[in-house]
Amino acid sequence: MTREELKSYVEGHFDGKLKSLDTGRYDPIFEIQPSDLITVAKALRDDESLKMDFLCNLGAVDTCEKLEVVYSVASTTKNLRLDFKFSLPYDNPEVDSIKEVWPGIDWYEREIWELYGINVRNHGNLKQFLLPDDWDQGNPMRKDWDAPDFIRMPEV
Amino acid sequence: MPDLRTQEYMVNMGPHHPSTHGVCRLILTMDGEKVVDIEPVIGYLHRSLEKVCENRTYAQCIPIMDRFEYVTSMSTNQVFSLAAERLAEIEVPERAEYLRVIMLELNRIASHLLFYGTTAMDCGALTPFLYGLRERELIIDLFEMTCGQRLTYNYIWVGGVSKDIPPEFEPKCREAIKIIGEKLDDYQGLLNENPIWLARMKDVGILDPDLAIAWGVSGPVLRASGVKYDLRKDDPYSIYDKFDFDIPTLEAGDNFDRYLLRIEEIKQSIRIIEQALDGLPEGPIRGKVKANFKPPEGEVYCRIENSRGEMGVYIRSDGSKKPLRVKMRGGSFNQLQVLPEIVRGKGYYIADLVAIFATLDIILPEVDR
Amino acid sequence: MGLIKKLPVYSEKIPGGGLVTTSVETVLHFSQACSLWYLLFGTACCAIELMCTGASRYDFDRLGMIFRASPRQSDLIIAAGTITKKMAPRLRKLYDQMAEPRYVIAMGGCTIKGGPFYYDSYAVEKGIDHIVPVDIYIPGCPPRPESLLEGCIHLQEKIKKQKLSDWQEK
Ligand code: SF4
Repeated sequence: MTREELKSYVEGHFDGKLKSLDTGRYDPIFEIQPSDLITVAKALRDDESLKMDFLCNLGAVDTCEKLEVVYSVASTTKNLRLDFKFSLPYDNPEVDSIKEVWPGIDWYEREIWELYGINVRNHGNLKQFLLPDDWDQGNPMRKDWDAPDFIRMPEV
Repeated sequence: MPDLRTQEYMVNMGPHHPSTHGVCRLILTMDGEKVVDIEPVIGYLHRSLEKVCENRTYAQCIPIMDRFEYVTSMSTNQVFSLAAERLAEIEVPERAEYLRVIMLELNRIASHLLFYGTTAMDCGALTPFLYGLRERELIIDLFEMTCGQRLTYNYIWVGGVSKDIPPEFEPKCREAIKIIGEKLDDYQGLLNENPIWLARMKDVGILDPDLAIAWGVSGPVLRASGVKYDLRKDDPYSIYDKFDFDIPTLEAGDNFDRYLLRIEEIKQSIRIIEQALDGLPEGPIRGKVKANFKPPEGEVYCRIENSRGEMGVYIRSDGSKKPLRVKMRGGSFNQLQVLPEIVRGKGYYIADLVAIFATLDIILPEVDR
Repeated sequence: MGLIKKLPVYSEKIPGGGLVTTSVETVLHFSQACSLWYLLFGTACCAIELMCTGASRYDFDRLGMIFRASPRQSDLIIAAGTITKKMAPRLRKLYDQMAEPRYVIAMGGCTIKGGPFYYDSYAVEKGIDHIVPVDIYIPGCPPRPESLLEGCIHLQEKIKKQKLSDWQEK
């Protein structure tokens, strides 16, 4: 399957839950509803012609207006790759854990919880792990975060 | 003794422990001498590289990427440049692609040699460490001759490479890979039949292929479990589809196979370098790229195969000269996650655990970033 | 008295013959300087260069420097690599566990003032000199093995120049 074929295949299947976006510059990227996350993840993994069994990456993005969560998945047998994402509001962002689909997402979810303050439902092990034990300054990866000893690089 | 009572207890290993290859803390639950469970605690090297990159221009990000995975800095340069090139649709001249492949493969060999040395040292053999690092210096010399640095190269730039190779590079490079190719037998002769080494390696730390894929394990660790998955062949980037090389795989998935597989990979890398040196074309080494170029709005996740598995970077651009978000993904992050799964319930000793940790080839900057 | 009778026998063994007179101070500090055992404390990139310096080509052993894994057996910490805020208390703890006299070499930009992470980083400690006292600073990112060797030689010279009376005051 080429990238174009993959794009139309995914759009045609899965009840239109994945809507293609044109911001992807190489691999196709889709938008989903946060509530569909577990269904979509399971469908992508179990689909016979996709077999997305490998989770590459999970990252959160702060666009200054909203938060976004981007999942990158791949297939080890079919050589396919795609991303899907959804947006979350700034206040009380919450996502579902998809540890049951790809167990390897465990630490990635902890990371977005810790650095972006996105709560992960049903994760079960949300503990601080990257920041110091006595950290009390909030979620440092947010764009509006600041601290007294945080020095920004001056514009040149 | 009728009422002998046993109890599990905790042992804290690290964060400053020579066998953790950096600063990682493992909280072990022990039953006598056997490890029952592990909980890795990371973050001792969390330098917030992602936050630093958000406030740098694309060209300034590359030296920061160097620090993300310093054992194979060339790969980090490559993955970031590739992502930025896909984002801004920049062409790379052919000579630059060849030079990139040569450097990437040399760096892979250097990393595997370091693996060979440190793993053997963790199991108590000091000689392989001295041997491995002696040959690694030959490769470091080549890098130094080209870009002036020994460790953090900043060599692969967006749109090409920073400098052309000097004329004496090619003979030196051929000589170095010849020496390394010959020494591989020595290396294996030192360890392969050593009973102490075999006791630590054979049938210890078995990783099941299904478990490995589910946990996102990649690279040599995955291939040692029998899954033929290598991004150089499966999702080719740069010009890897032009070269003729094999993807070695092994079946058992234990420590010993992970070690043997890396030795095999060195041989394949040598093959690639020879072909690349033979086919090296003339021409420019860098495309036309402005210093502060502005890619259009968009996002890309780009991945390459480095010596520790899939290395990826996700870049989100908002149309300005600085990226809105850079998210780095390293193979070690997943390899460390799967460590408790490998060890749990198998009754390994601490010395086995050290060997497993070493053969997974985890380095901590990739985990912590 | 026994020693004085025997002394000529010993001094004959010194090459060329003859007697060496020196102070306890010099002998003490000479031997201290020539057997600096360092703690294997590498956190980041600079640790790889530290390893290279200890390995075949550069060979730390010729300065009498051997790595130790335990702080209780070492005289010197070579702080190689970034010290983050999470790691800083551990560095202090290791330093406190070492026996006097103890020395610290700050290797690389990160340990001097935060290096490449001075700006924009929320997790990096900006210099280790407010955690532990530093004797020698070696700039570079990473410093070459030669500069590390040079730094160690400077430290040896510094040790040889010490006075016993300095210790009494402490
Ligand atoms: S000084 Fe440079 S090379 Fe050394 S630890 Fe810091 S970033 Fe790495």
